[in-house]
Amino acid sequence: MRRRGVPAIGWLVVAILIGLLTLPAASQQPPRRGGTVTMALYQEPELLNPYMATQTASFEVITMVVEGLLANDEKGGYVPQLATEVPSRANGGVSQDGKTITYHLRSGLRWSDGRPLTCDDVKFTWQAIVTPKSGAISTTGYDQIQAVDCPTPQTVVVRYKTFYAPFLSRFRWILPRHATGDPANMTRWDYNRRPLGSGPFRLTEWASGDHITLVRNDNYRIKGQPYLDRVIIRIVPSREVGKQLIKTGDVDIVWDLIESDVPELRGVPGIKISAPPGPGAERLVLNLADPSLDGPSPEMVKQHPHPILGDPRVREAIELGINKREITSKLLFGLATVGTNELHIGWARCVTPPSSYNPPKARRLLEEAGWVPGPDGIRVAKGARYAKDGTRLRLKLQTTTGNKLREQAEQLIIEYMRAIGLEFYIENVPSAVLFGSWASGAFRKHGHFDVLMYTTNPDADPHAQVEGYFASWNMPTADNAGRGFNYARYASDRVDADIKKAGSVPDLDLRRAAYCDAMKQIVSDRPHIYLYDRATMNGYRERLQGWVANVWENVGWNAQSWWVSR
Amino acid sequence: MTRYLARRLLEAVPLLILISVAVFFLINIIPGGPTAAYENNPHLTPQDLARIERELGLNQPIYVRYVRWLGAVAHGDWGYSLASRRPVLVEIGERLPNTIYLLGVAFAVTLALGIPIGMLSALRQYSLFDHTSTTLAFMGQSVPIFWFGLILIIVFHVSLRNPLTGLPLLPGGGMYTLGEPFSVWDRVSHLILPVSMLTLATAAQYVRYMRASMLEVVHQDYIRTARAKGAGGRRVVWRHAFKNAALPLVTVIALDLPTLFSGALFTETIFSWPGMGRLFYDSALRFDYALLMGIIMVNAALIILSNLAADVVYGCLDPRIRYV
Repeated sequence: MRRRGVPAIGWLVVAILIGLLTLPAASQQPPRRGGTVTMALYQEPELLNPYMATQTASFEVITMVVEGLLANDEKGGYVPQLATEVPSRANGGVSQDGKTITYHLRSGLRWSDGRPLTCDDVKFTWQAIVTPKSGAISTTGYDQIQAVDCPTPQTVVVRYKTFYAPFLSRFRWILPRHATGDPANMTRWDYNRRPLGSGPFRLTEWASGDHITLVRNDNYRIKGQPYLDRVIIRIVPSREVGKQLIKTGDVDIVWDLIESDVPELRGVPGIKISAPPGPGAERLVLNLADPSLDGPSPEMVKQHPHPILGDPRVREAIELGINKREITSKLLFGLATVGTNELHIGWARCVTPPSSYNPPKARRLLEEAGWVPGPDGIRVAKGARYAKDGTRLRLKLQTTTGNKLREQAEQLIIEYMRAIGLEFYIENVPSAVLFGSWASGAFRKHGHFDVLMYTTNPDADPHAQVEGYFASWNMPTADNAGRGFNYARYASDRVDADIKKAGSVPDLDLRRAAYCDAMKQIVSDRPHIYLYDRATMNGYRERLQGWVANVWENVGWNAQSWWVSR
Repeated sequence: MTRYLARRLLEAVPLLILISVAVFFLINIIPGGPTAAYENNPHLTPQDLARIERELGLNQPIYVRYVRWLGAVAHGDWGYSLASRRPVLVEIGERLPNTIYLLGVAFAVTLALGIPIGMLSALRQYSLFDHTSTTLAFMGQSVPIFWFGLILIIVFHVSLRNPLTGLPLLPGGGMYTLGEPFSVWDRVSHLILPVSMLTLATAAQYVRYMRASMLEVVHQDYIRTARAKGAGGRRVVWRHAFKNAALPLVTVIALDLPTLFSGALFTETIFSWPGMGRLFYDSALRFDYALLMGIIMVNAALIILSNLAADVVYGCLDPRIRYV
């Protein structure tokens, strides 16, 4: 027995050694060709024309089929896709006045049907978007273009009428002239359901409500890629179903998880969760104007500030009274980071320190601002700057209904505020009401609120967001038909000047410096109080290799590099 | 009979118009709209929004939109989905076969189970079979079906494994295995759980109806007379008892028929079935007015028609009823 036992243990040791030696080798094995990957989407794309689609789910599919001149990498910077390089003044791609942009297309580009992809297709893309009544959802930026010229089939010259700062973000998707149709008829194109692109996969089947099949594009611009034969998009009725399917191994990717899904999936063997911080920031939007006014202009805001929130000391007290760290750890399972400012990630990232949790200082500030404790602990005005004496320190807090996370956050905020003598009361509304249009009379647009809570985020190019929310000329009023998102009705000469500067130069470093200067001012003025930055979360089966999480693009942004082990 | 049918069909027209008015105005007063999703997009200027609303015809007053919709429908044009921009009938046409397939099978299984069990239960009143089936039927009607569906998934898809392959015993969703060649077993295996879920509640209901009306009938004088005249047991049950006992069931079944069109939202959601229930739900979330109107109106028409069908079948089964 003994004699037999020893060699057995010896073999075991050898086996373990071999196992240990092959382990690192196994994780560095070259990508394997072939195989199918299935991804669960809990929303069905409405259509797959990138200039008519509105839902993120649609772009999850589009991104694997259609390409553009440039895309964004995981740091938010621009990288060439169909172009050979990112145009800049240094490489001659941007003219001195910044109005003429030259892109060079890679040589030998083909659509997935084998037809050549040339400058003419870029020109067609622009024409399709700006054709009146084409049905394109947004024409922003493209309507600033004078002409798209094609001196050679590989050279694209875009001439803007006026300088357009986020020019690099345009032409993210290129449409094929030969496989679409008349731009005036865009809503009726067969393309909308069967897009043809130059991306790593081509769409072969869309079974409504069930699945979308993508197969390898043999004409893809990178030789030897994609590695996978197929990607199947499985349309599932809910996120819950998607989570079940990744647990049982029926799907390899589950798209768009939320924080509360993570504890449930974390312990499951064979599943990895990616949770990089995303651009979305949950914030409180404070109304600096008298909420009884209807869409007041900047001048009116100056004359009629919000009786409570018009005083910057009150706004500071609110921020110092909120324990942001407790919200992220208690409600978000540590998956979110404490909020700082609008540009917390991306190429324009600006680092500002998070606010400290300091209730004693908050109380002192309120005291200084003329708010003294009343009989029930809630403060009342006595010599406050804008409020009549005897006014109760009471504010309405509103967010969307049916969101458990937000409702819990509201409860915590009410507690924090009561501790410093400020009363918050809740009046939540359905999201369609909160986010309604000026024409529909939405109170957010018209300025009839105290404090709102919701998430919004800048794109890879933050200009539209920063200008929309913080430039004084973007307060929605009757005169501008409700344009802009400056719901806080915030006005600062310094921020206005910074935004103008950032919007007038093509150089990204100069723009970054201008945005950051604006951020510093905004952080100290507090039209918004940033609670937490949300992570972008997706789940992957471990057999899927080569994926890279990129919060600026969709899950399949590098699907050409995906492969499956085994 | 023909005159009766013509009159009933003619009466249905104003009823349908009334329904369409009510539905059209109701879905339009829900806060939000097809463009609500765009409001938070920083790239969209109010001009963009106004242009989209103009293109979709949403800037018109509601009565103008209704009249235009009615005029188009009168010419057989149901319009285009506001989300996918495809014709409403194409959207419905893609989902309808899936729903008829699932609910048709479930309906057949329900009838095949519910009617014989109910009859047998009545004929052998107070037997062990009767006690068992009435208890089960009572439970079947009481169990919330979405819960039952989830339990089915946990048991047959998550816990139980096929001993040969190690894969889940039964698929937990979808109509067929994606990427596999067609096979009858694959289709059937995908049907088992959703059909079980759908059958449970409805079959239980039919068992109870069938048993009750059968009991009422078998104690009638004419059954005794038939037996006294020497008619065989089977002949009495089917020719005399069943035909009369089935009458109340006809109405119940006819009123269940429109669900073949409208689909089953819970079942389709739990089992990822691409049917009409989910199409309706998704289009409601997207404020897809055109598609919503299409689905609701076809559904309303079907309910009216199946009511009429029930009345007609009644007449055939019961010669005492005459239609004028």
